[in-house]
Amino acid sequence: MLDIKNLHARIADGREILKGITLSIGPGATHAIMGPNGSGKSTLAGVLAGKPGYEVTQGEVLYNGRDLLAMPADERAREGVFLAFQYPVEIPGVNNMYFLRAALNATRKQRGEPDLDAGQFLKAVRAKLKLLEIGEDLLQRGVNVGFSGGEKKRNEIFQMAMLEPKLAILDETDSGLDIDALQTVAKGINALHSLDRAVLMITHYQRLLDFVVPDQVHVLANGRIVKSGGKELALELEKTGYAGVGDAA
Amino acid sequence: MSVADTKLYRGALPQKGEPAWLRTRREAGLARFEQTGFPTRRQESWRYTDLRALQLTPFPPARDAAALSPDAIAPWRFAGETHRLVFVDGKFSEALSAIGTLSKGATIGPVSTLVSARPALLEAAFDAGDDAAAQPFAALNAAIFADGFVLALEAGVTLDKPVEIIHWVGAGAARSCHLRNLVNLAPNARATLIESFAGSGLYWNNAVTRIALSEGAALSHAKVQSESEDGIHLALNRVTLAAKSAYQSFVLTLGAKLSRHETQALLAGEGASVGLDGAFLLRGSQDATNVTFVDHAAPGGTTRELFKGVADDRAHGAFLGTIAVRPHAQKTDAQQTSRNLLLSPRAAIDTKPELEIFADDVKCAHGATVGDLDEAALFYLESRGIPADAARRMLIEAFAADALDRVTDQPLRDFLDGHLRRWLKVLPA
Repeated sequence: MLDIKNLHARIADGREILKGITLSIGPGATHAIMGPNGSGKSTLAGVLAGKPGYEVTQGEVLYNGRDLLAMPADERAREGVFLAFQYPVEIPGVNNMYFLRAALNATRKQRGEPDLDAGQFLKAVRAKLKLLEIGEDLLQRGVNVGFSGGEKKRNEIFQMAMLEPKLAILDETDSGLDIDALQTVAKGINALHSLDRAVLMITHYQRLLDFVVPDQVHVLANGRIVKSGGKELALELEKTGYAGVGDAA
Repeated sequence: MSVADTKLYRGALPQKGEPAWLRTRREAGLARFEQTGFPTRRQESWRYTDLRALQLTPFPPARDAAALSPDAIAPWRFAGETHRLVFVDGKFSEALSAIGTLSKGATIGPVSTLVSARPALLEAAFDAGDDAAAQPFAALNAAIFADGFVLALEAGVTLDKPVEIIHWVGAGAARSCHLRNLVNLAPNARATLIESFAGSGLYWNNAVTRIALSEGAALSHAKVQSESEDGIHLALNRVTLAAKSAYQSFVLTLGAKLSRHETQALLAGEGASVGLDGAFLLRGSQDATNVTFVDHAAPGGTTRELFKGVADDRAHGAFLGTIAVRPHAQKTDAQQTSRNLLLSPRAAIDTKPELEIFADDVKCAHGATVGDLDEAALFYLESRGIPADAARRMLIEAFAADALDRVTDQPLRDFLDGHLRRWLKVLPA
């Protein structure tokens, strides 16, 4: 589903952050990328989602055989790529419901499905809200406006549940969550799991991986994947820390 | 100003059929205009307004309006029930208007008929304040206005539905329309007034509105300026407020090649309140200026002012806001905010909020910002599949909504939202 080949990327000031990443994720798989701060985890998520400010200097990314990097960000999203933001953006004046309906209908249009009418939309919203334990009142506010840190993260997963992406990239979705919220978020991620979808979790800590069990774990250090393994690799890192793998880079 | 211009307008003075007092006013107005000529950019409040478009083409005063089908004004109609007056080429159109039954103590109608029926009332539309305002176009307007609307309420009268005024100028040779309007609310009278300006082709609208609010009176006034893309729109609203009266205004500027809206509010009585809000959204090579001057001449007055400006392409917008607090106007509470959004590197917005405070026990604040669209917000919307242009429109709408939120009357809010969305080319949600 996702084939990253020798990906190099730099930021506006010219610093190279990604220095040759190769990674392949098949349908139905859940991968985790772990690594210390500054290793390039969020840059990788940003490059995959089409966030402005990065320049890819080498390599390619194929998404279901198509050149992902050639697509604008909105098209990537409509084709099923979803990024759960590490820091969800507050957008005053844009109502959450209005925003979500516009997003969902844009995606449905791409899939050749008709727009949901207000009633159908509300029904879908309510089911997913319940799953993520989000109060309906939050949706009447501006996008992420006045949300607590945990509410913002749950709102990301709620949006993911509504949009039903093929490839979900979760950028530090676990950070800043207490254990109850973490479990709720994990429930939302697991609910999306299916044989034709893939999940890429980016995290600093292993604790999310207790609830969303990865098929593979990769360690990112200094812009490269320095180690890959099964879920036990995460537990190993928990004990030894990143110091050892950092040296390997 | 050239001699030709003077002739153009002197020739437009109505020759007969008007009372002597009005003739005197017209002559005085013309003399004043001949003396001042067009404003120049050396005058501070005209500094940002390029009047060349007005001077390059002669705009003879409109003569007879062509008959108009009601369809032409349909997009400008307010959705609810109203007392409706329609002006075509600056003249009252009886066929398109529907004033309806009026409550006792209410007068609503065109100046052209009321000038002989209610001369005492009409004289109030031409007070010496015009001179004090030093407004050349108001002087010209006094001289050659052809018509306008009158809304007058006796003490304690509250209108059951809004008064809706549609000013339409049809396609044709370049011409000017000079409207002189009057709103006069006696103590504790209340009304809602909705004005729309629209048209087609090359023309110049020059509107002067005199608004007098007696003690405890309240006027809610919304204006949508959606003139044709070649149109020129100049408007002056002069408001005087007696004690405990309230004037709440929202000016939505979307149209015209060149426009300038000025509101002057004099808080003459204690405890009066003024809300001057607005939004201007400009594209192409549009040029629009909003000028406000609020004069706190009595204690305990309140001003709330919020203007949001958006400029795309090579458009230019300006906000010039002054709040003056006279020495004895203690306990004045005034806030003025101008926030602006540039959508293109070639667009420009000038903002000049000013406070002139001569009293010591007051609470006054002002602020102004000019910024770009929030790239992080734009990416967030796009990352959810919303196409880039739709995401931009959402953010622009949200930016303007901040000011529109001040309009608490829901039908009025819907009306303004509808115009805003038409500008944004967004279909109703």
